[in-house]
Amino acid sequence: MDCSGVRALMNRYIDGELGYLETAEFQRHLAFCPDCSLEFRELSALRGTLAAWGDVPLAPPAGFANRVMTAVATEPLPGSPRPLADVVSDVLEWLDQSLGRVRLPGGRTMPVKNLLGWAIALVAVVIGFGRRRGQDQAKTRVSRAAGAARR
Amino acid sequence: MASSNWEKWRLPADPSPADLARAAAGERQAFRMIVERYQHMVYSVAYNVLGNHADAEDAAQDAFLRCYRSLPQYRSEASFSTWLFRLALTAAIDAQRRERRRPEPVDVPEVAGEAAALAPGIDAATIARALADLPEDYRTPTVLRDVYGLPYHEIAELTGRPLGTVKVMVHRGRAALRLRLRAEREA
Ligand SMILES: [Zn+2]
Repeated sequence: MDCSGVRALMNRYIDGELGYLETAEFQRHLAFCPDCSLEFRELSALRGTLAAWGDVPLAPPAGFANRVMTAVATEPLPGSPRPLADVVSDVLEWLDQSLGRVRLPGGRTMPVKNLLGWAIALVAVVIGFGRRRGQDQAKTRVSRAAGAARR
Repeated sequence: MASSNWEKWRLPADPSPADLARAAAGERQAFRMIVERYQHMVYSVAYNVLGNHADAEDAAQDAFLRCYRSLPQYRSEASFSTWLFRLALTAAIDAQRRERRRPEPVDVPEVAGEAAALAPGIDAATIARALADLPEDYRTPTVLRDVYGLPYHEIAELTGRPLGTVKVMVHRGRAALRLRLRAEREA
């Protein structure tokens, strides 16, 4: 195994993803290659440093707990049904996130959910119009039939 | 999640079942106790995922609100801190998806308690800055993997990305951090 092969395996070795043979070859290379062995030591040290960083508690800004409690004060009691408006706004936000935005001419963008909204409104208008026309035609047919009957 | 690094953390003891029941019943004072006890853990998770104070504070607050709302659903099979840790992670990842990121010069978080050197020549401020400077695509998976010790498949699940992508991001994040820390040591 050459240096580039070893470097390609380094992360998988660290993550314990190499099989027995690959591990043996990897270790054999590190034993005689100072460059790869330095990189490996640095990478291992980095992981140790990051894990240690995970143990370091960071202080939230002053007054954080008070601000949380102020926000909690406006909440309904835990477990009570959520107000409909919240549910609707969550659904809209979810749509926003999952649908993204479309580019409009002129470099501006518009949320896809707005386009969807317009499309739904348009379909509703078309259906409404169509039904009205249908009713009008039916009326015409009825009055024509009535006229024919009179004749 | 059983072998996560953060479990080694000197986490505060879980609230007593009686305190949890009082908080779940909406008793504000009982909930305040939870916030005060866990604010460092929740804030640290949010800061490490998001890399800036403004977003971290919003996400940490969101995590506590989610906690408050879903207290009645909490079952004691998982320890309370495990449950809250998971809420903090998802709140931070959701905040990132919303792209509310406000650019700000990297300001180093204040370490609660004594700030020990993490490695020879590497202090808390150095590592915080190095992580915050990572491209966001690399930072979140790298933090979840190497700071909190989550398995790759869980990171893929949490971030909604394919497993292979997550691994590549972590490998790149590690490579960037390794070079950064080498430069810091030599400086
Ligand atoms: Zn080599």
